[in-house]
Amino acid sequence: MKERWNDRLRSFFRETAARIWAVIGAVSIRTKIMGIVLGLVLLLGAGVTVQVRVSMAEALGRELEERGISIARNLAARSTDLILTSDLYALHKLLRDMVVHNEDVRYAFVLDSQGRVLVHSFERGVPPDLLGVNPVSGQEHWRLQVLETEEGLIHDVAVPILAGHAGTARIGLAEHRLQAQLSATTYRLLLITFLIALAGVAGGYLLTWVLTRPVQALVEATRAIARGDLSHRAPVWAEDELGALARSFNAMVEEQDRLLETLRQREVRRGQLLEQVITAQEEERRRIARELHDQIGQALTSLLVGLRNLESDPSPARLHELKAVIADTLDGVRELALELRPSILDDLGLVPALERYIHTCVSRYHLAVDLQTVGLDGVRLPPAVETALYRIIQEALTNVVRHARARQASLLLEVRGESVVAVVEDDGCGFDAEGLMSGPPGEHSLGLHGMRERAELVGGRLTVESSPGQGTSVFVEVPLEGRREDGGAGKDTGAYCR
Amino acid sequence: MRGKIRVLIADDHAILRSGLRLLLEAQPDMEVVGEAGSAEEAVALEARLRPDVVLMDLTLPARPGSSSSGAAGLEAIRRIRASRPEARVLALTMHDDEGYLRAVLEAGGVGYVLKQAADTELLSAIRAASRGGTYLHPAHARVLVESLLRRGESAAKDDDYERLSPREQEVLRLLALGYTNQQVADRLCLSVKTVETYRARLTEKLGLRSRADIVRYALQRGLLEP
Repeated sequence: MKERWNDRLRSFFRETAARIWAVIGAVSIRTKIMGIVLGLVLLLGAGVTVQVRVSMAEALGRELEERGISIARNLAARSTDLILTSDLYALHKLLRDMVVHNEDVRYAFVLDSQGRVLVHSFERGVPPDLLGVNPVSGQEHWRLQVLETEEGLIHDVAVPILAGHAGTARIGLAEHRLQAQLSATTYRLLLITFLIALAGVAGGYLLTWVLTRPVQALVEATRAIARGDLSHRAPVWAEDELGALARSFNAMVEEQDRLLETLRQREVRRGQLLEQVITAQEEERRRIARELHDQIGQALTSLLVGLRNLESDPSPARLHELKAVIADTLDGVRELALELRPSILDDLGLVPALERYIHTCVSRYHLAVDLQTVGLDGVRLPPAVETALYRIIQEALTNVVRHARARQASLLLEVRGESVVAVVEDDGCGFDAEGLMSGPPGEHSLGLHGMRERAELVGGRLTVESSPGQGTSVFVEVPLEGRREDGGAGKDTGAYCR
Repeated sequence: MRGKIRVLIADDHAILRSGLRLLLEAQPDMEVVGEAGSAEEAVALEARLRPDVVLMDLTLPARPGSSSSGAAGLEAIRRIRASRPEARVLALTMHDDEGYLRAVLEAGGVGYVLKQAADTELLSAIRAASRGGTYLHPAHARVLVESLLRRGESAAKDDDYERLSPREQEVLRLLALGYTNQQVADRLCLSVKTVETYRARLTEKLGLRSRADIVRYALQRGLLEP
């Protein structure tokens, strides 16, 4: 029972909080800040006003009463002789002086010991019901009573003269001045509160403007960037947190812009490369088709004819001839197969395949290639890496043959740490490698860009170092499987330089 | 009088198998005791028939129906030798290549015959193998000997290494590790030009011509050990 009650209470609070938050959250920051400022100022103003009024009323009331008592006692003391000598004129004068000089005194009168009015300050006699109130005995020094009249509260003070033997002095003090003073103070306080609230609103407006302007600019910037306008930048208004936000936002956009540009360039390069690859593939097919048809087809046809001749005229010389044709054809087929895809690469691995290719280089192009391997004895690399390295090295050596005018080339293949490194170097004429590699792929650099793409496909990197007259070095580094590829750039960052 | 040489033929081409069978059966001293079309079959048949000589195609499928690969033939030679060390296997192949030749010999084959030469040469190879010898074509034998000689050849110079400055020694080591000039420069806080100068100087002092030479030299001096 109690728990259900608790639950209900809790859910009520939660709902209320949610509703309040919905209202607060829906309004703008400007409204929030202005609300806070205005609320605080008004609350403070109201609190101060109430407090000041209460304590002022208390203090002024006490002061009024003390003054009343002192005036009444003064009147009593000074009227004693006059009463005893029955000098009513002087008594009247005394009373008048006192009323005139004390603004707060609303009325004053003196009674004799029998309670008869001797003198009074009323215009039309003392109101009869006033005589009955606030009776004071001879033993008291004074007596105070607050009377409610149609003129407001009156503080009536009665003081016995000569312990009541000579009569009683009575005065009535009005609260007019006190109330006027209170009202004036309250009015001033409220005015000040209002002025402060006005200033607060102005300040809040300024503050929110300062705060929301950069935020709005940032929102505008994100919208522009979302639309694809990467040249848009958020203005940095100040050096505060919002300024820092704008700065880092701009830095982010710049980075994005740069990345996008790189990506775009790469896309262009890929596109051109793809076109080239397709063309090359078609060219290759045409060549193979021609080879198959012209060379091998012709050879087989001639064999057929030869065999037919052999049927009619079997002679050892003809037989020998046919065998020679077959051997030639076989060579042709083998060469074609080797060019397409050396089976030795799959069967025995990268190093034997490269040895084989180098053998071809030497015999066909008279280019001496010095091969050195480190850490690759009996090691098979992942097939994708082997193929990539084989093709890259093949292309590099083909380039040496075609362009370098080199006397000799060297090939280094090395497993170093967690990657495999291949270096193809020649002592040829060299070229402006940096210019060629950093520019867009042209007719002359497509081979190089293709090599780089091949290396990147297996997570590797290709670097070319060359300058005219210096020879050329092609470096490929490919991380080996199962090892994390964390950039690979760590080793050449110059982190060792101090 | 000893009996005929019992031969097992392993090749996935039926035409070649029948041609070989024709050729061998025509010899007075040979008989074909079995034919296998895959590496798996060859190993099983060899264990059952215990032939004097196995003719093993290198590029045959591992199992019937699977695609052929050179590794399957080599693997079959290895398995046959492992289960019967006295087995004599001749590789019969299209590949005229030093790499395959070496691989066959390492796997335990006793000969290497090219399919292009599958007549008299094949017959003498089978005869040599059955007598316990090894058969190699003279050209192949020369290739092997040359590579052996190359391996033994030492490019080691006398102690020129001490003539290198410490910086040159460091450049030498990094070049041997396959670093680019830029990377060497970054590592040693030098300019690329300076690295090139160091390289030219140290290769001249040591009489080295290429990066492969540099690596070989570093290997011999044990400079690449961590």
